[in-house]
Formats: sequence, C-alpha cells, structure tokens
Amino acid sequence: MEIPPVLEEKFQALLQRYPVKRSALVPMALYAQDVFGFVSDELILEIAKRLGLSSLHVNETLAYYSMIRRKPAGKYHVQVCTNVSCMLRGGNEVFDFVQKKLEIGNKQTTADGMFSLEEVECIGACTGAPAMQVNYDFYENLTGQRTDDLLDALDKSSRPARSVPTSGSVHERHPAEVSVISRLFGVPDSHKLDVYLQRDGYKGLERALKEFTPEQVIEEVKKSNLRGRGGAGFPTGVKWSFVPKESAKPKYILCNADESEPGTCKDRPLMEMVPHQLMEGMVIAGRAVGAHHGYIYIRGEYRYVLEIVDAAIEEAYSRGYLGKNIMGSGFDFDLATHTGAGAYECGEESALMESLEGKRGYPRIRPPFPAVVGLYGSPTVINNVETLSAIPAILHRGSEWYSGLGSPKNGGTRLFCISGHVNRPGIYELPMGFNLKRMIEEVAGGIPGGRKLKAVIPGGSSCPLLNAEEIDLPMDFDSLAKAGSMLGSGGLVVIDESTCMVDVARRIMHFYAHESCGWCIPCREGTDWLRKMLDRFHSGGGRREDIALIGELSKNMLGRTFCPLGDAAALPTISIVKKWPHEFEEHLAGKCPYQPAELLTPALG
Amino acid sequence: MAETAEIKFKLDDRQLTVRPGTLVIEAAREQGIEVPSFCYYQGLALQAACRMCLVEVEKAPKLQTACTLVAVNGMVVRTNTPQVHEARKSMLEFLLANHPLDCPVCDKGGECELQDMTFRYGADRSRFVEEKLHVPEVKWSNIVYYDAPRCILCFRCVRVCDEGMDVKALGVGQRGANSVIIPNRDGYLECVECGMCIDICPVGALTSGTYRYHTRPWEMQYVPTVCAHCSNGCKTTLSVRNHEIIRANNRDLSGYNGDFLCAKGRFAFDFTRHPERLNQPLIRLGGKLDTASWEEALQAVASRLAAIRKQNGPEAIGFYGSNRTTNEENYLLGRIARASIGTNNVDHHRTADYAGLMQLAADLAGSSSGHGGSTAGGSGGIFATMRDLESAPAILLIGNDATEQNPLVAWQIRTAIRNHRSRLYILDSREQKLNSKAQASVLFARGEEAAAIGKLAPSGTANLAETDLDRRLHPFRDALAAENDVVVLFGAAIQGAALARLSDFARERVAAGKRTRFIALGDYANSRGAADMGLLPEWLPGYAPIANPAAREAFGKIWGATLPEKPGLDSRAMLDATAAGQLKALYVVGANPAKKTNFVGSKRMGKLDLLVVQDLYLSETARLADIVLPALSAFEKNGTMTNTAGEVQLVRQGGDFMGARSDFDILRILSHQLAQQRVGQPIPLRTPDAAFEEIARTVPGYAVSWAGLLSGTAEPIQPNFAATNGHRPAESAAGVIFSNNDSLFTSGSLTPYCRMIRSLREAGVTP
Repeated sequence: MEIPPVLEEKFQALLQRYPVKRSALVPMALYAQDVFGFVSDELILEIAKRLGLSSLHVNETLAYYSMIRRKPAGKYHVQVCTNVSCMLRGGNEVFDFVQKKLEIGNKQTTADGMFSLEEVECIGACTGAPAMQVNYDFYENLTGQRTDDLLDALDKSSRPARSVPTSGSVHERHPAEVSVISRLFGVPDSHKLDVYLQRDGYKGLERALKEFTPEQVIEEVKKSNLRGRGGAGFPTGVKWSFVPKESAKPKYILCNADESEPGTCKDRPLMEMVPHQLMEGMVIAGRAVGAHHGYIYIRGEYRYVLEIVDAAIEEAYSRGYLGKNIMGSGFDFDLATHTGAGAYECGEESALMESLEGKRGYPRIRPPFPAVVGLYGSPTVINNVETLSAIPAILHRGSEWYSGLGSPKNGGTRLFCISGHVNRPGIYELPMGFNLKRMIEEVAGGIPGGRKLKAVIPGGSSCPLLNAEEIDLPMDFDSLAKAGSMLGSGGLVVIDESTCMVDVARRIMHFYAHESCGWCIPCREGTDWLRKMLDRFHSGGGRREDIALIGELSKNMLGRTFCPLGDAAALPTISIVKKWPHEFEEHLAGKCPYQPAELLTPALG
Repeated sequence: MAETAEIKFKLDDRQLTVRPGTLVIEAAREQGIEVPSFCYYQGLALQAACRMCLVEVEKAPKLQTACTLVAVNGMVVRTNTPQVHEARKSMLEFLLANHPLDCPVCDKGGECELQDMTFRYGADRSRFVEEKLHVPEVKWSNIVYYDAPRCILCFRCVRVCDEGMDVKALGVGQRGANSVIIPNRDGYLECVECGMCIDICPVGALTSGTYRYHTRPWEMQYVPTVCAHCSNGCKTTLSVRNHEIIRANNRDLSGYNGDFLCAKGRFAFDFTRHPERLNQPLIRLGGKLDTASWEEALQAVASRLAAIRKQNGPEAIGFYGSNRTTNEENYLLGRIARASIGTNNVDHHRTADYAGLMQLAADLAGSSSGHGGSTAGGSGGIFATMRDLESAPAILLIGNDATEQNPLVAWQIRTAIRNHRSRLYILDSREQKLNSKAQASVLFARGEEAAAIGKLAPSGTANLAETDLDRRLHPFRDALAAENDVVVLFGAAIQGAALARLSDFARERVAAGKRTRFIALGDYANSRGAADMGLLPEWLPGYAPIANPAAREAFGKIWGATLPEKPGLDSRAMLDATAAGQLKALYVVGANPAKKTNFVGSKRMGKLDLLVVQDLYLSETARLADIVLPALSAFEKNGTMTNTAGEVQLVRQGGDFMGARSDFDILRILSHQLAQQRVGQPIPLRTPDAAFEEIARTVPGYAVSWAGLLSGTAEPIQPNFAATNGHRPAESAAGVIFSNNDSLFTSGSLTPYCRMIRSLREAGVTP
C-alpha cells in the first residue's frame, strides 16, 4: 500500500529504533492510524510484511490496544473522560452534553464525518477535571459553555487553545510545598536544555559520572530512601542493586511513563515541563547499573508530551548529554521514546515490556524478575517517571539532604495530585509524610460549598478508600499501609457528602473491567461480573444478598489474580462495601438516592 | 549431567524428594494428588492464567500457582486446605459466570474438564443473575468450529498450534472479558487442520466438523488402535457407535504420540463409510463385473489359480501385497505365494529401503544390535524408536519432508528442539518447513543423494574437488562430526548407493565411538511390516535371503512345503512380465498398481489371464480385475502392524462393514480352497493372534513381549542380522523403491475416499 512520505519517515525511524523489529508494531500502527484515520486490513498486511510477522500476530496485538481503531472515526475524535475524578466534577454531564449536541452516541460518528464520540477512561487530566481530548489535544476544566464553544470552533475547523501545561500543575506555591522535581513548573521554556542547565540541570549526572563509581551511585540512591513513585513504593536503590554486574546481553533502563492510574496526572507535567530531568535520571540509572540503552514508554494519549520528550532527546544528543561519551566521561547512553496505544495494564512493569516488544500487554510470570530477565530477556531497571525525575537532585544535592526532606524510610518529596471535590485541585510537591487532612483542607483549599468530606481515595483508584475519620495521618507508604490502604501513585481523589458511594464503586469497577487484560480467570470474569452487578445495583435493581456478594466476589479476586490488577479492582470495592454499607441498603428502595454531579456551569439548553 | 542434588519438600502429609527444577504441580500429580488446572499442560509453555492450581505454601502471604512453583528445599505445600478449596470453588464460579450452560447439547458434555471440575470442586448453585455475554458460533473451516462463549481462555489451543505444530494459526483477539480466540485469516483458518486445538480444548469451545452434534460420548465404545494412514504408527482411539466410527482422537494419551494426531489421523476415518465401498465380491462375466457370493468368488479364484499353475507353472503367478494390511495378513500372503503356489514372485510397493537398512545394520554388526534407546544398556543399538526421537540430542534428516510425509516424526523433532534443545540437520533436495528449525540444512540436487551423503563421512571428502556442494557441506559435516549421538532419518530416495554411503558414514562414526541410530521413513501404516513379513522377492520374513537354504528349510518346515529357490520378480518386473505375457495371474491385495506405477498401463494389465484384487473400493486396478474381493480396512480388523521405526503395535477392530471380510480371513479361506484344488496346505492359523504367535516364533526379531503388546505398548523388534548368513542379496532394482510423497492431505490410494480431508481448502482439491 502507499505510505505517505511523512509516515514513511516515521516508519523508517521506528524500524531503526529497536534491536527487535517487532517492537515497532504498535507505534507504526498508531502513527499510521493518525494518517489514515483507522487501521485497515491492508495496513495490517503492510505492517506484517515490513516486520516479518504474520498478519495474525499483528492483528491480535493491535486488538489489545484500545486506541487502535479498525473503523474510521470522525475528523475530530472527541474523547470524554468519565472516570472518578472527572465524574465527581461533571464528566458524565459533559459526555451527555456532547451526545445531545452532536446527536451521536458512544463510539458513533456524525453523518458528516466531522465528529466521533467516545467515553474514555482516565486521560491524566484529573486536576483539570472534567476533561476531554479531541484527537490528541487536551481540553480541561470543562463547563457546559466551554464544551459548547469548543465543539462550535471545531466544527468551523479551527483548533481551540489546548490546556497546556497540565491544569493544576502551575499555581502559586503553597507555603508547605517543597519544590524539588517541580521546581521548573511554570518557568518559561523549562523543557529546553538551556533553561534546565541554568537550574542545576545535569549536575547530578556530572557527579554520577565524575565523582562516583556506579556502586556509589546505587549507594546514594539507597541512602536517599527514595521509593518507587509508581505506586508500590519499592526502594529504588535496592531495585537497582538487583541488576547483575556482568551480563552477556545489553542491559536496559526503562521509564514507565504509562501513567494511567485514575486520579494520577503527575508524570504528564514532569515530562512536558522538565523532560531533561527525567532523561538525566535515566542516564544516571544507566551509569549505576551499566546499561547503555533506555526507553521511555509513554502512554499513547500523551502524544504532545511524547513530542516534547522527543525534541528534548534530540537536543540532549546534539549537546552531548546523550549518545557517545557523555560529558566527556566515556560513558555512552542511547535513549528513545516509545508510544503506548491505550492499555492501563501496560503500566504493570512486565506487561509494559511485553508491549514494548510488540506483543499484547500481558504480564509475565515471575520469577524471573526484570532486573535479571526483563526487556528482550535482558537485565532491566524499570522505574516510574517521578522516581527517575528525583534522581538528579539526589545525586546533585546528596542523599542525606533528600532523605531528610521526608519521613523515616520515606525519603524526599512527592507530587500529590489532588482532584475531586476541593477548591484548588492541583499537583502539589509536598514532603513525604505530609498530613492528609492538611493536604485537603489547607493545601487544596478544602471542600467547595461548605459540604462535608465523605471519602478519600489516597493514591489512585486501586487503593482502599478512607472515610472522613481516617484522614488525620501522614502520607507515606508505611503510614497508609498501617491505615489499611496504600499511598499508591499519589493521586488523591476527594469525595464529598453529595456523592453516591455505590456510584463511585460502580465507576471504579467499570475502569478495571475495561482494562483487565483477560489473561487470568478471576480478574477477567470477576471485574466483568462485578461491573454488571454494580450497574444493576446502582440503578436500583439490587437485591439484599448482592451487598454481601459484591464483597465476596471481590475477596475471591483478591490475592488470586495473575497480576495486581485484580487486587486493584477488589480493594476499593471491598472498602466501599465495608465502610458505606448503608448506602447500598438505601439503593434497595429501587433507585439511587443521590443526584448526579453538577456540571460546574449549568448545561446549556 | 552432574545434577545429583535432590530437593526435599513437604506436600500435604508426604515428604517428597524430587529433581531440582520440579514444578509442584508435577510432583503432586506424580503422587496421585490432584491439583486441578486448565491452562497448565505438560510440554506447553506455562501460563498461570486459570488460577485453578492455587496451593498454600507455608510462609507465603498469598496462595501460589502450583504450575509455576518450583519445589525448593524445606518448602511446605498444602493442596487440601479450606483456603485452597475455597479458591478452586471461586475460580469455577467465575468461569461459570459467563459460560453457557448448554451442556445437554454440547459435544463435550460428559467428557468436559469444566464439568468434571465443577462436579468435584464447584458450588452447588449459581449466584450469577446478570446477562451472559453471547456471540454466535463461527465455522473456521470444515473441520474447526469455535463457540466463543464456551471458551474459558486457557490458551491451550494457541500454544499447541504455535509450540507443538509450529503453525501459529491461532491468536487472541479483543481484551478482558471480551477476549476471544481468533484464526489467522479474516474469520477463517488456514492451517494444517490437524485438529490438535479441538482435542486439547478442555471444554466445548472448539468442536470438529466430523463429530459435532453426532452423538453423546457415553453412547460410544472406545477402541484403541493404530492409525491407518502413514507409517508413523500413531495410537488412535476410535469412538465407535453401532460399528460406525464417529471420531478418532488420542485423548487417553496412549502411545508414543501422546496427544498428537494429524488431520488424517483425526478426520480421515470417513473412507470406511464411503458410498463406493465394496460390499459384495465381483466376478467378471461377459466383460462386466457382476456381483457374486463369497463362496463363488473364492472358489473361482482357487480353481483358476490352480489351473494357471498347472498349465504355466508357479512362476506364471505373481502376488502384489499391501502397505496397509496387517503383519499377519502379509505373512499369510507370503506363505500362500511361496508355500501354496510355490513362487517367489511376491512384492509390494516399497516406500523405503528397509532391506537396505538391515544390510547396513548387518554391516555394522560388529557393534551390538537392536533398539538402543529402549533396551537396557543398548548404547550400541542402531535403531531408534519413535519415542527416542523426542529427546534425541541430534537428528539428521535426509531426503524426506517430514512435516508433510511423516507428521509424527516432525512433531517429535519439534518437541525435541523445544523441550530438549536438540539440534536438527537437514540434507534434502527440496526446501522444507523444518529448515527453519534446523541448526543447519544443505540442499542438493535430485540424484546427488549418494554424492552428498558420501561427503558426510570425514574420509569421504578427502579426494573430492571443492564444489559448491562441498563448500556448503563442510560446515554441515563438521557440525555433525561434533555430535556424539545422532539419529539419522532417511527417506525413500536413500537406497542403493546412497544407502551404502550412509553405511560408510555410520561405520566411521561407530569406529569413533559416536552413537548413531537410524530410522528409515516409509509411506504407509504397515510399509515396514510388508517388508519385515517378506513381501519381497528375494527375502523371506525377517530378511533371510531366499538364497539361504537354511532359512528356506526352516520356513518350509513350518509351512509344510519346499520353498522355491529361484528369486522372484519384483513389483516392477512382475508388471513387465505381465506386459510380456509371461505372468499369467496377478493377485493384488490392497494395492493399486495400475494407478500408482507409471510404467504399466491398463492395457498391459489386460494381458493377464487372471487378475484378482482384494480392496475396499473399485480402484483403477480393481476395475481391470476378473475377480474382486471386498476387504475390511485397517480400522475394522485385528492384528499387528509395525511402524517405520520397527515397532510392533496391536491393531484392534473398531468399525465393521457388512459384506466385506478381512484380508486375513480371505487369505486363510483361499488357502483352504487351494488345498481342495490340491495346491498347497490349508493354513491352520485361525486367528490373527495365532498367526502372530507363529510370526513371533519364525520371524527374526518378532519375538516381542506379548504382554507389552496387549497393554498397548509399541514393542521394538530385535532384528537378527545373522539371518543373512553371509548371503548378500542383490540391491533392489532402480524404480522399485519410491515414495508417493503424500502430503498432510493425501493418503495414497485412500485419498479419493477421505471426503472430509479432500473438502478442506488447504487440500487444494478443486471441486
């Protein structure tokens, strides 16, 4: 088939990018979809031919990724997020509004081919909720009026101003904030190398290359008490130390930028505003474990972010911060981005590696662990964007300084994304161990309208929810675990008394059912069953025995699934059934006693 | 291997000692402790997807999957705790949530793993009140149907197609609860149609075009026997209802083929009920074949044979045997030819040089003989078994496209490569699929067999000029020379001089202390047995040369006759003699020389005074016959067959067909009829069992364990090379040994009657 030159150039670049050609599969398909509007059978054969794969392999791989379309969409593909953070601030109402205005339903296209509509899962704009994407453009803090204006402008084929940087990332600093990794947020041109260099950029790398041995670098990171910011909180330095020193195969540094835990939108601003900080962290990691190759796996929805990172990588290569003989040290490091294509599961480290290898994003059996057998069967370090972004400062200013910023065993600061029912939703860099209650009341300005707090999701939707009585506690990994929940990914969702908790449980389960990869029985069947049951229950069709059944089925998933996604679906559900049983009882009357969320400006007409 | 270390761990109340690397699920099963699983399947990649095998491990916070859990010292595992039972119950509940409970009409009902596990571990009621996901069933090919709602996504089918078959025709579409198995083409399958996916499916998600909605499993009888098609001798279990074969599979994993069967093995049993099947003897009257009674027909055969013998002598009569009849039937045919009629004019379509292999073995007889891999300490043995293949460290495949011609051999090779890191070397005149799995492969031109093989032995290359073939063969030869244990597989083209070069190669290796074993690859179910039973003009059963007076005497004594000394005509010479008018009568059993030999036309065959054909159908040869006797197929009789590697297996009657008789019965009756005509002695052997007892006594190598045979084992024969007693028969004439080069979708003369196979898109038959 005929491939336009611009796309051909992308194809060629992708074919050069990986040691295994198959890795280019998903990016090729996504970039081609951008050009052709969808992935045709012909395109599948073309990709198969170029990668030396069977069309079946291409077909089954692409079928896994929700951004890949096998049918044409509208010129403007409107994707409205209705996940929890958006739902709490009127996401469903935005979706309804768009449906009515465009006179199409979910996954439908207008007759003139201008618009198509899709209800999507969390797009990483939680602190700018409600939000939507039109093609790859983010539009946040939507109101009825703003949505109406946007669609009108698009209809005239103009491109309204996008919401960049991420809403809530740039704001007046709260006195409690300690700006380490976010120190460049809001600085003009902060994504440029020169601006970064003016603000201590690449000084950590310089020390790592010139003052420390690789072992000392690992030691510094260990001493900093930096723990994985992706959610699990595993000590980063310890993780690095698992990588064997000697390896016949090349080692890899992977950055997990597949941010998609509902309520979490910190990696997006970190990459769009300070990409060099992340890249510097990766080169340091490479130096520490003796790896010379790295990939940043960025979720497909963050296309503009990927373009910023690509430009930063190019700049770093041209100035000797990537490539051969970095900073004259003799150390080489190559780095490239890789786009995902819509799959939460690919945020699981081994699924991410499968995905990066051009396969369906199924998690792998462990052991072996990635540190020994990871990407392409090679020793691999995989860290979250925020984790790697903290590395330069640790190396530059010392582990002692960094660990001192946080609480015991929880070094440094953390970006907390506070969304939902607060007056000042935003991304705040606070010391580890900062009090949750203060976070909500002081930092985020408390709950609007004088309403009372009902529940808090402390670290992304996979964490057990806390009720209003449980929030007076320090936000670090250990304290949250003690309180029966998790610090998770730093995505706090604040839920006030006007919210139906059954609806929250329902929406959370919808997400996990949508994102279950389908590999193992309990997750695949359990999330789907619970989704159906919670739908029925919320709409008033519940039976008394369903209340216990919801909890039991969740417990039957818990700890028995192949990967943590089953737990992620089970834990919040179990906590909601346990802490708000009366809300379930109220639904037995045959309808939901709560009103839907208000669209912040009353909907038009 | 220096792996002397042992792992000691506790499983329930037992203290176990296992090899390092043992999976807990395997250790448990070996102990008879059931750890249920859907996705775990021995020999296929681990999945840990179904979560049925969760067990409790002391000090582990969560239940662990026994299928991925490697036993370590001091580990304490429990499979029988309330928590484990609860987990199993909940997994089944999840599975049944969306599973359509259409068991009453599901093909799998009664033999379904999901049913069985639910019965044993499941809940007694459903708590699922939501609407089930439903999508319609799809037909992927005439053989494979997929019912997505029934699918539990254990991925066995995907793995067996990829890892086992190397076909990779199945994948996974969609995601999450919508996940489905998808075929490699847009809505249909293009594959080898082996049906492995259907049989390996634990539920009724994949069903077969031949079996679906035909019957219920409990209405059938199950008959373990041997596949009637190629020479690999796969065990198959026929599911039979009212004497009709409804299904063939090997789900009981009997035999060395485990669960392997190819498309023919699974779906080509339908030839037994083809409408053209003969059910009455036919006698030519006034130029036309007309029906006759068995009595009339057999009397006519005997009297006319007697008359020709009397008038033209025994050498005017020839016997053309079959590749598919049993050892007992072949033995009887040879006995009738040599003892009753008194001629050595007996042959069959030879598809591998088994006699040449015996000669090679005799030449190597300095080293010890027999089946090394299967007999204790027989490291000097030169014959490999089918089972040996699956773990052979190195395999040299010469002149045979195993994927097409010898499907089980190819499966064993793939298994060896996958599970034992075996190395495959291929030397052939054609490109073949296995080349992609080979460590090295060299292509030579047809006719260069002897030259190419001649260069494999280190000494064979010394004086040769450096040709292109040499250059390609050098690294190949060196790699082979480094192998300490090679199984050599060779096809029909390796005969005569080429086989002699192979013998040189083997001699040098044996002299260097390197183990070398052989399998000759023939075409059909009992190609080997036809040769072993002496359906050869120059050899008596067991390859005793006819020139050997002691051998003649031994058999003559048992058969009650003085056996003729003069070597007979081979298959080709018999047909030439027919054309020349020297051969007056030809007796053909289960063969179709008029079609299958390109050097004889029907006109020449017409010169015969008497052509008798025993067959299932009115084949091209039968159409020319004077008397046609309808025979039963291999699926309808008892006896033994010998696979191409020289392993004997029992054949058991599955189906039956009214009007036809087994070749054994026909030949036995014929011997009585001939005796009435004062030709030879009646054969006193009443049953195939009795015949096999005589074979075991008389045929060198066939004194195999009867107990083993009865219990379903493949018993390797132990040939006795002394039988040649210094008499080296002439090499087989050119053109006598040749392969039909059957594909996965053909089966020699049975092909036209295998309707399901022929209906497949991949078979390439234009309708």
